[in-house]
Amino acid sequence: MGPPPVVTGISPKEGPPGTRVTIRGEFLGISATDLIGLKICGCDCLLSAEWKSKNKIVARSGPCKGRGDIIVTTKSGGEGTSTVQFRGYHESVGPMKESAVWVEEAAPPSVPWGRRPMSPTAYTPPDPLGLSTEGDDCKFPEEELHELFPDGSGKLSDENFQPGWYLLEHHSNTSYEDLKAGMIFLQRKVEGQKEGQLSFLKANTGAVMDQLDRLVLLKNMYEEDHRKNGREPLPSLQSAIEESISLADSLFSEILSRKENADNTREALSLLTRHKFLFQLPSSIDKNIKKKEYDLVVNDYTRAKNLFGNTDVKLFQKILAEIDKKIEELKENLYNRMKTMPINVQEQTKYIRLLISLNWEGDAAWTAILSRKDYLMALMNKVKDHFKQKEEQESNEKGRRRARECDWGAWRAAWCGAACGALAAELHALWPLARRYFAGDLAGEPAAPQRHADLKEMIIAAVESFSEQMRACLLVGGAGSGAGGAAGGAGADVLRARLVANLRHLRDAYDSLLKLDLPSQPLSIVEKVIFDYRVHGMTVFLQRAHKRVKSLAEKETWKIEEFSDYGAITNLPHLLETYMNEALSSIHKCVLNSGRRENPLLNEGSEPSAALQRHTQQILLAYVTVLRELALHHEDQDFNNTSLSVALDQRLDESCAGGAGGGAAGGAGGGGARSWQQRLLIAGANAHYTRRLTLNNILEAFHTYGLPKPTQAIQTTKDALSTLESSIAETYLEHKGDPLVGTIEPSMYMGRHQTDAEALVDDARPYVYEIINNLIAVHAEVDSVCGAASTRYVRDICETVCEELARLAACAPRHAAAHAAPAAFQARLEYTLLRIAVAEHLTRKAENYLMEALAGLPPLENEEDKKRMDNIIQGFKKRMELQLASLNCNMETV
Amino acid sequence: MFSAIAYRLSTTFLEEQQVCGASSSAMSKKPAAQPTLHKVIMVGSGGVGKSALTLQFMYDEFVEDYEPTKADSYRKKVVLDGEEVQIDILDTAGQEDYAAIRDNYFRSGEGFLCVFSITEPESFDATQEFREQILRVKNDESIPFLLVGNKSDLGDKRRVPLDACRERAQAWQVPYVETSAKTRDNVDKVFFDLMREIRSRKSDDSRTANGNVRDKVKRRKIKCAIL
Ligand SMILES: Nc1nc2c(ncn2[C@@H]2O[C@H](COP(=O)(O)OP(=O)(O)OP(=O)(O)O)[C@@H](O)[C@H]2O)c(=O)[nH]1
Ligand SMILES: [Mg+2]
Repeated sequence: MGPPPVVTGISPKEGPPGTRVTIRGEFLGISATDLIGLKICGCDCLLSAEWKSKNKIVARSGPCKGRGDIIVTTKSGGEGTSTVQFRGYHESVGPMKESAVWVEEAAPPSVPWGRRPMSPTAYTPPDPLGLSTEGDDCKFPEEELHELFPDGSGKLSDENFQPGWYLLEHHSNTSYEDLKAGMIFLQRKVEGQKEGQLSFLKANTGAVMDQLDRLVLLKNMYEEDHRKNGREPLPSLQSAIEESISLADSLFSEILSRKENADNTREALSLLTRHKFLFQLPSSIDKNIKKKEYDLVVNDYTRAKNLFGNTDVKLFQKILAEIDKKIEELKENLYNRMKTMPINVQEQTKYIRLLISLNWEGDAAWTAILSRKDYLMALMNKVKDHFKQKEEQESNEKGRRRARECDWGAWRAAWCGAACGALAAELHALWPLARRYFAGDLAGEPAAPQRHADLKEMIIAAVESFSEQMRACLLVGGAGSGAGGAAGGAGADVLRARLVANLRHLRDAYDSLLKLDLPSQPLSIVEKVIFDYRVHGMTVFLQRAHKRVKSLAEKETWKIEEFSDYGAITNLPHLLETYMNEALSSIHKCVLNSGRRENPLLNEGSEPSAALQRHTQQILLAYVTVLRELALHHEDQDFNNTSLSVALDQRLDESCAGGAGGGAAGGAGGGGARSWQQRLLIAGANAHYTRRLTLNNILEAFHTYGLPKPTQAIQTTKDALSTLESSIAETYLEHKGDPLVGTIEPSMYMGRHQTDAEALVDDARPYVYEIINNLIAVHAEVDSVCGAASTRYVRDICETVCEELARLAACAPRHAAAHAAPAAFQARLEYTLLRIAVAEHLTRKAENYLMEALAGLPPLENEEDKKRMDNIIQGFKKRMELQLASLNCNMETV
Repeated sequence: MFSAIAYRLSTTFLEEQQVCGASSSAMSKKPAAQPTLHKVIMVGSGGVGKSALTLQFMYDEFVEDYEPTKADSYRKKVVLDGEEVQIDILDTAGQEDYAAIRDNYFRSGEGFLCVFSITEPESFDATQEFREQILRVKNDESIPFLLVGNKSDLGDKRRVPLDACRERAQAWQVPYVETSAKTRDNVDKVFFDLMREIRSRKSDDSRTANGNVRDKVKRRKIKCAIL
């Protein structure tokens, strides 16, 4: 049983019989047939009732008078109540008044007295004032009257009749003049009545007689009846009535039963048409599911649920159960579809929404998020496995290392691209889905406390796995691939292109994640990968440069490229500069610039900065090592000392000339066969040049490419180069100067026994000339290589020569005592001549040595000797002019 | 003589019928412990939307076609600020044809929604007359009263400037609200605001009991004068 009807509105709230009223309220029946009763002020109005909706009925009021409730009765809710009331009133209808009520023409109400009313209900007592109430619509509210006359009444016939009430009720609109006229009318009437009943009888004699006759007739008939039927006339009547009832029953029972059947059939048919929708629903659901019109299914289903959800009809329940089953299946189906990856996010959202509208119990959207995340992880792993497998396969198939390395690089690039694409694409689907979920768009329980944290974890896990993978792909194996690339001739460009491509993939992925507005933590993980990869790229370039520098030794052709201020150099310093430049420009081009929301690569004091410093230093020191190797290691060639001593080897002149000439010729025609000492000197020049020029250029290049200057590394290298230069000088001295010095003593004493002690000394002994010649040879050699920078070597050798002379002079006094003056003269002469010869190359130390030697000799005793000495010296200068000039040319004063 | 008897007979019959009717109406008139009743009356020119507002408030429906009202009565329970009350709405006729019966209705009202249509200046002008008629009948300057500009959804056809409305409400010292029976905009608001005024008015009255009595006396006197 549903709720009982309640009437809460009536329009209009009053009116004469037959007024069309609109009744509004609640539960006024669920169909036209459900409405089984309608009473307005106690009058049954069901016949005219028109059921419009469960909130509205239109009916016509009945012949009631006064105020009363509107009671609606329904099958489903029983008898109802009303909060509003209808007031029926009777209006006198004249010929001028439009009326819904049929008026008996024969009984105009304006005729007072005399006529019997047609029916008691339609009777209105005539107005005692004789005034027409026609058109008097203005009814005075009844409550007011009750209030004004608490125990009065407006009825003429009532004992408590109140004229005031009557006037207000019927004549509230009547003018004063009319009322006065009415008053006169009433007075006249009363007068007329007073005139006596006689005149009344007189006027109506005929009628009175007629009535008396009728009464007598009635009395006779009654008495006769009494005689005939006795005192109890009822039993015979009753039996007659019962007889006629049974007869009527037998006559109509068949017809009635047939009618009943017909009614039932009709009802069933109407039921069918009315609920066609429900009966067809199962098949239409199937059809729509097949057509993937899920929205239609959902709409139909909700409609059916609304209409028949709590039906008691067994048939409906059965169909509903069937439908429910189908919907359950559909839900399951949708759920699985929603979970099954891959699926695009619009599709997925659609399924989620459908599930929500079908009252899916679970948190569909969260499941979707979870499955998306699982899919993402699986996808990442699949990408990884795929490339790992390919790599293994390849390494099994091909033995050749280089081919593998090259392909490796290509695969890694593909791997990186694939992983970046996968991550970006999937997060692009997952994140917006999650955002909508947390915005509450997709039902479920986004407010559950763990959810936010869970999601964040998921995303971090995904990004982390990506980052690990990329590290494994790009950073770990990268060194190998870098090396492999460097090994190949075209490696550099390929390497750079690949690095740039990989970096672009990573950055694209990062960029798309940035657009998603992800939380900063996962973003920073990706950023770190990019950063590390950039550092890695930098390292690779530097390592490559390192490697190339290390193999510079093989590149050394000893071909003189340039006679610089610091000597003759090969192209090693240039190569170093080129390699460095290439590495730096690659770094500058490929990795230095930061992308959107990335940290700068080389922050001051950061690890990458330090690495740059470190690598730079390694490279430069490697270069120094190369120079050192080139200069000092000489497996197959011995130092060509033998040719230096003119006195011991007659071929010296030719050899020396050949050496010097070869040096000059080698400068032009390629120095494939350079002697070791030349290489030594060239290496020295290279070192010197590098220290003074190349390093500064490199420093400049760092600046140009926007990298922090590796001052520390440069300084260390400069120191290392200085050390190298000195050790080269030393070596040279050791190998060149020592043999030269060693020849002095033997050649000094070579002709001693032949020397006549008494003979006049007129020239220096040959060893002096030998020394000078040797020095000229050295000078020529050094100068040919080192040019302006050659002094160092000559000076060193001069010093050792002077030292040896001093040492020999210190041993001389024994002889001097024996040979006396001529020997002393000769010694003085020789020292002086030497001093003149090497004047330009004397260091202070060397000068001291010579002074020391001279000091050990007795001074010249007479003028004659002095004169002789001067003559000899002048002669010597004249004779040796060419030699002296060659020894002292090109000198820079230090 | 016989017609006199017949007259007697007919009047007794009527009497009997009357007694039945009276007793039945007396029964239905005594509901047990009903919540407070607030009597609201809708006034305003014909076609401005009084019925539309009422039906929207009562039944959440909007009636497109215009069917002039004579006098409609609605009553239902609502919850006003947590208290269950009954609102009784008397929807009166705006058409001039029915103008004569207004006076009687206005007497029973405790609060008035004076409605005009913002698309119809004539209806706005008419509010002046309604106001005067109400004040005359109620003889009370501060009777709960809201000036309501309806059909606010037809903003593009507006012909009564907002300023004029506000100005008039200001002059009368009553609130002004714009509604739309079509979109249900502010519909609940006007009814509830009015009920609140009625309620506070009633509690004021019962508190100043003296004034109340005097008031009643006054009213009675006026009625006598009419009589
Ligand atoms: N666009 C619009 N139309 C309205 C609005 N209110 C009422 N109407 C229309 O205006 C016409 C008259 O509305 P009613 O509510 O019947 O007017 P009334 O004030 O009751 O008129 P009477 O009963 O004659 O006094 C109807 O066609 C309504 O559809 C409203 O807010 N917006
Ligand atoms: Mg109306």
